[in-house]
Amino acid sequence: MTKATRDISALQAAAVLVSTIIGVGVLPLPLFAVRAADTGGPLVTLLACICALVGLMFVALLGMRFPDESIIQYSERLIGKWPARAVGLCVIVFFALLTSLTAREFGEVVVTSVLKQTPVEVTVIVMLMLAAISARNTMTTFAYIHFFYVPLLLVPGLLIVALSLKNAEPLNLQPIWGNRPGGMFDGIVTIAALFQGSFVLTIVIPAMRKPAKALVVSLYSILIAGGLYVVIVIAVVSVFGAEETRELLWPTLELAKATSLPANVLERLDGAFLAVWVTAVFTTLLSSYYLTSQSLTQLLRLQEPRIFTFFLVPFVFVIAMVPANIVKMYEAVVNVGRIGLMLTIAYPGLLLLIAVLRKKGGSALGR
Amino acid sequence: MDDNGPRSLKRAARLAARLCPPLLAAALLCGCWDRTEIEDRAIVLGVSIDKARPEEEGEEDPVTHYVKGLGPPASDLIRVGVQIALPGRIPLGPGESGGGSGGNDPQKTVWVLDVVGHSVNDALMNLQQELSAKLFFGHLRVIVISEEMARFGLENVNDYFHRNPEVRRMAWMMVAKGEALALMKASPKLERVPSLYLMTTLDEGIRMGKFPQDYIGIFWSRKSKLGQEGFLPYVELRKNQTLQTQGLALFQGSRMVGATMPLDIAVYMALKGNNPGGYSAFVKVRGTEVMTHVTHRESKTSFEIRNGKPYFKFKAAFELNLEEKINNELNIQDPSVIRDIEESQKKGAVKLIESFLEKTQALGSDVLGLGEYVRAKAPGYWNRNVGTKERWQRMYKEIEYEVHIDMKIRRIGMKAE
Amino acid sequence: MPLFGNRTHLQSRRSRRKKRTAGDAGTSTGGDGGGSGGGPLDGRLDELLAKVTHVFGTDTTLTVRKFRIFGTYPAAMLYFPNMLDQNTLNETILKPSMSVPTGLDPSEWSAPELLDRLASEALWHSDCRRTEDFNDLIEALLHGDTVLAAEGSEAALVVGTRQIDKRGIDQPGTEQVIRGPREGFVEPLGPNIALIRYRLQAAELRTRQLTIGRKTRSKVVVCYMEGLTDPDLLAEVDRRLGGIDIDAVLDSGYLEQFIEDNQWSPFPQVQYTERPDKVVANLLEGRVAILVDGSPLALIVPTVFNQFYQAVEDYTERFMQMSAIRMARLVALVFSLVFPAIYVSVISFNPELIPTEFAVAVAGGRAGVPWPAVVEVLIIEISMEVLREATIRLPQQVGGALSIVGVLVIGQAAVAAGFASPITVVIIALTTIGSFATPAYNAALALRLLRFPLIIIAGIFGLYGVMIGLILIANHLLSLKSFGVPYLSPLVPADAEGMKDVLIRGPLWWMKRRPAFLKPKNPVRVGSEMTEPPETKSRKQEGAHSPSTEKE
Repeated sequence: MTKATRDISALQAAAVLVSTIIGVGVLPLPLFAVRAADTGGPLVTLLACICALVGLMFVALLGMRFPDESIIQYSERLIGKWPARAVGLCVIVFFALLTSLTAREFGEVVVTSVLKQTPVEVTVIVMLMLAAISARNTMTTFAYIHFFYVPLLLVPGLLIVALSLKNAEPLNLQPIWGNRPGGMFDGIVTIAALFQGSFVLTIVIPAMRKPAKALVVSLYSILIAGGLYVVIVIAVVSVFGAEETRELLWPTLELAKATSLPANVLERLDGAFLAVWVTAVFTTLLSSYYLTSQSLTQLLRLQEPRIFTFFLVPFVFVIAMVPANIVKMYEAVVNVGRIGLMLTIAYPGLLLLIAVLRKKGGSALGR
Repeated sequence: MDDNGPRSLKRAARLAARLCPPLLAAALLCGCWDRTEIEDRAIVLGVSIDKARPEEEGEEDPVTHYVKGLGPPASDLIRVGVQIALPGRIPLGPGESGGGSGGNDPQKTVWVLDVVGHSVNDALMNLQQELSAKLFFGHLRVIVISEEMARFGLENVNDYFHRNPEVRRMAWMMVAKGEALALMKASPKLERVPSLYLMTTLDEGIRMGKFPQDYIGIFWSRKSKLGQEGFLPYVELRKNQTLQTQGLALFQGSRMVGATMPLDIAVYMALKGNNPGGYSAFVKVRGTEVMTHVTHRESKTSFEIRNGKPYFKFKAAFELNLEEKINNELNIQDPSVIRDIEESQKKGAVKLIESFLEKTQALGSDVLGLGEYVRAKAPGYWNRNVGTKERWQRMYKEIEYEVHIDMKIRRIGMKAE
Repeated sequence: MPLFGNRTHLQSRRSRRKKRTAGDAGTSTGGDGGGSGGGPLDGRLDELLAKVTHVFGTDTTLTVRKFRIFGTYPAAMLYFPNMLDQNTLNETILKPSMSVPTGLDPSEWSAPELLDRLASEALWHSDCRRTEDFNDLIEALLHGDTVLAAEGSEAALVVGTRQIDKRGIDQPGTEQVIRGPREGFVEPLGPNIALIRYRLQAAELRTRQLTIGRKTRSKVVVCYMEGLTDPDLLAEVDRRLGGIDIDAVLDSGYLEQFIEDNQWSPFPQVQYTERPDKVVANLLEGRVAILVDGSPLALIVPTVFNQFYQAVEDYTERFMQMSAIRMARLVALVFSLVFPAIYVSVISFNPELIPTEFAVAVAGGRAGVPWPAVVEVLIIEISMEVLREATIRLPQQVGGALSIVGVLVIGQAAVAAGFASPITVVIIALTTIGSFATPAYNAALALRLLRFPLIIIAGIFGLYGVMIGLILIANHLLSLKSFGVPYLSPLVPADAEGMKDVLIRGPLWWMKRRPAFLKPKNPVRVGSEMTEPPETKSRKQEGAHSPSTEKE
């Protein structure tokens, strides 16, 4: 990839963000939401979307100030070389972790529900290899890939929501703030963490045709992806009720199971849904993997961007295999996600503040 | 345009070289872990669960436990029956007689097996031990529980079927009067596969307005709600090998506490406003009787807090068709007669509803989900005074209500009077 | 022929290239004659004839006809008699140069200017040129031209007498249409160019000629629209064609394999066609066509994926009906790729997806089959491929019989023998028929090929595996380019104008602009005031001189 290619349209950039955000996190999402504030789940999800939007806007504004660089590069000019590199390394490690946990999470879903005898290692390595092979492409192809898959993510999600609406009970959604909204803040943080893949915007901006559109792009992408999140939570809670949702490990998958296509073409959609969802997980995985390897080359100032694509696989794979069981894994997913919020929301916020105060970079509306 | 001819060639070659070994290794070494051919699966179409007699303990195989201290659990024995489709016996396609000598005799298209165990999984493991094909629950459509078992409690049954990813949420669970295994062995003539007949009976019941939607998934959802209890169809095998819906099996938590009469199903559906209407009733009017059929219902449930207790108002509107007169005494053309029929049926309906509510209140089983109204609409009151399922079960026995019914006869059939 | 208008220009280009490739092409032109070499002509006729006979050795078809021009100057005429019409030769060359035309006094002509004056004043032939290079002379002979050499002249005349017997213009065998032109390309280049030019009577149509093939010296013509085709694209085509160094170009397929972007991809990145109307439509969209002498198939670049399921009728027939049919074709295309793989994964991994009654029945159908579904499907698929290949290779009279026998009898027998389950046979039959519905043979071939890895991966991972396989294929398609144009254009990257011709075929008046991904210099295709109302439309068409632009 040569640095000069600015080939990504705003639409493609939004597609990258949408398909990155929609991923394996959708499967347990209603459980997280309902745990936080039973019937207030949709509200929690909505607040989490806003929270994620704020973080993404920091990244977008920074990107508009430094339209030719990614966060790894401009942070050095803002807070000094070594502090920036240290945090940059944290970001890389975090996204490596995110990649491995995503792969593992989906591996567990597949092994639990469809391929019961297949070792989870195999499903994880297959997904990782798929991401690694595709991460060798240029930024333009990377954007094409995301753009191509967006309909494949939105359609099945919305289809299942639409088909399940006939079983919905509005009573299940009331009161909208929940009977026991005690865990609301925890829930917002947990769900906002599911949006973290959108950090990939920082490496998309330098390849965008019009970086000034980054803010609009982030707004629309959160609108679409967050909208889908909220709609799915609403559908799950209104069909199952908050208490039943609490008993399901992957409520969204259960919703697919409870849905059948009209005229019984397919009697249950869980297997098919899971198969289609492979693409959603793949795009998420691709983004975080691409971000990791690209950031690593930028941090080490290497010329050849593809150098790490296969080199990273074993590390990510080993990390993915660390959690002993599915309960530990979800503990890790939640905890890592929360720590990650420091890196993906607080850190860009801090950088933006410094940039504004020190008047570094072009004005936000410069281009 | 860049020159990527030879470079892409080299890249592709390198990629292919890198990809081939792992893919080949994957294909050759590990093979196909999960591949189980459809004919190698024992496709379970129906499951029945009975309580086993204590004297049948000897029949139980210690497949999952044999060392003292590692089980068996203290719970009582259960007898699990499964109905397995026999591949090759069910002809492929309509009207073709091929695929074996079985033809349309249901006894020969399925195989009914039963085993004894301490829990559902234990029993199924015992069964798997004696079966060559792997039990496959992806097409499990009907789970029949004996009344005795249901009254004992379904926690274990619910947990097993909820946890098993193969089981669909659209399966039916029903409570049988008497032995559940008998339903597995029944051989109705209408369907090639007996379990499918049981399923069709209930599915068609929904379409004809004979029964509300109550798939196992819906039962689970209702059961876990704080202000609602689940119910299941209460069925009986009749002498001509058909299934009769006897009413609702009322639950409190996972335990069956009672059963209703068939007409109470109509009451339940009326209060829920479920359509279409499927039940007919006798109406006494001017000393004789007519029969009406409910075609459309609408209902509204509201409540207010009165004297620190929720007070419910049920409003329901029915549309009726006149279906039958017992004799010729009434002149339907007279509007006052129609009004009388409506009045009379209104009184009857209120009586029916009150008796239904009384029964559920006596059993502490809020199948209508009135508690959910309170939880949803008055969360403050709910959090202060109720909070848990147990407390709502107690409070439900004490709630008061009033019923408003509106009856309208719309059509009288093809006969003028 | 207008084709040879800028021949000299091209020949100088070629000679430049010859130098670059270290004289490789040069020596080969001189034949295997070894020492004789090339070089200029020195005016001695005997020497020249000796050199020529040395080059051609004992070849018996070369004819050397010695005579005296106007009865005075010794001269010789060299030609391959099978490659030209001897009557023309006699009438237009031999006769005028032997009998002194009235009004001319050739006695005062000097030997050096003899041939020039002969060409300009005596010969009755339009295609005459002068050459001083021996290699050029040999090449002209090989091409079928006649060489006229005279004693004392340091040049020779090359007279374009080539006339090769060709078959008549016929229906395109592989691209039949119900509605549309019935003409297909033939082998010789000349008539093919004529077929294009009479459809596209525009001054902007340009042809460039190259010669490729060390031994075959095949003429390759690049056609494009000046002021429409992207110049970068043209430069890229020239660059890729210029780099080809091979001894023989027997068909345009040889060229395709040298100019495509990714040789390892199963998907064709160059479209071929034997329909001149299709070539014209593509030229008008801003594409470049490449024709090869001796091949009835023209290449069209750049090519994007959606061209492979578009057919000529899509544009000649009315848009609504053809949009529906195109979608059916697309379904067939998808079926032919994934149907067997999905069948395998549903049967072996996820039987809970299909209705219970059907699942039980399928289990019954498969009960006697000894091997797993994946092996069963592979066996039937491979036998189907064998059958299909056999049908293509067999003489036409037998072919039809064989396919019926193959499908009916073998399928029925396989089921009866418990070799395959009836549903498998149905699935494979549907798949095979689906692959025939794809208009482009080479694209159908790619999907046929990809079906096998998909079946195998479905046998390992079920639906999950099918999805992984499809993602790999999709990613490959997304990274693929044809002459710099993303392969899935106009779907990805999205192009609103191009989208009107992807899933559906928009009405012609609706597709106002040429596809943007081809970067045409003049994007407007349909006049801006062309709109829907039929009365204005018909009035416009009467007045409009611009050709109604049907695509492909």
